[in-house]
Amino acid sequence: MTEKTFPELRRKLTSGWWTSNRHYVQYMVREWTSLFVALFSLVYIYGLSLLATGSRSAFLNLLKSPAMIAFSFIALIFTLYHAVTWFYLLGQVVPVKIGKTTSKPWQALVANLVLLIIVSYLVIWLLVLR
Amino acid sequence: MAAGVEMREEAPRVARLHAILWGIFSLGGMLAAFLLPVMIYLTGIAYPLGLWPLNGSRDPSFLVMGTLLGVLFVFVTVAGSLFHGIFRFQSALTEVGLLRLKKGLEAAGYLIIFAGIILLAYYLLVLNPSLPAL
Repeated sequence: MTEKTFPELRRKLTSGWWTSNRHYVQYMVREWTSLFVALFSLVYIYGLSLLATGSRSAFLNLLKSPAMIAFSFIALIFTLYHAVTWFYLLGQVVPVKIGKTTSKPWQALVANLVLLIIVSYLVIWLLVLR
Repeated sequence: MAAGVEMREEAPRVARLHAILWGIFSLGGMLAAFLLPVMIYLTGIAYPLGLWPLNGSRDPSFLVMGTLLGVLFVFVTVAGSLFHGIFRFQSALTEVGLLRLKKGLEAAGYLIIFAGIILLAYYLLVLNPSLPAL
């Protein structure tokens, strides 16, 4: 008895697989924004090392340099993008059931964005204005 | 038989470690989403450009010096964001062709995360030898 063999049709995944589809691109952009979240943290720890070793002016000059200001703007935009996608994701992963209705992802997004504004203002009030 | 028992004990332990690491990852995602934007705005934009609420009269070193609340805010925000950002970026790299380096990437990622968090805690303690109350 001979077994019929079929040619194996398996598409090989290249490193650019995520460019084939809009959703994959969105996914990859979302994942790469996390690089800026991490980079800001690392730069901030570096700044703290300057401050902790007694050179306050070096810390402040770092923050005032045009490159750092430009980086902060990019990091802020990507962090907000992270926040928006994270809130949307939360709505998909843990929908809230109220009575018979289940919350939609966009509702979680809106609720969390309002919360983000409240939390941000609270931080500024507690740490700066008070 | 003995190997079977060992495996049964091993599996939940690994799963528990993974659950804890993923738990910290999502906690970091929350912190990065809710606290990092305002922190970047205060230190990287409002201070150098003299905008509200600092108005050019204060520099952001007050955040990490003097008040326990400020120190806690900086610690949880930076540590959480670092954990989340590196963890996620490291796993994104394995999806664009670096899968064969997965082990190495994971090791490098955790090294950066833990070294970063330890340094962060150390510098905050150096800046605040005796933490005053809230």
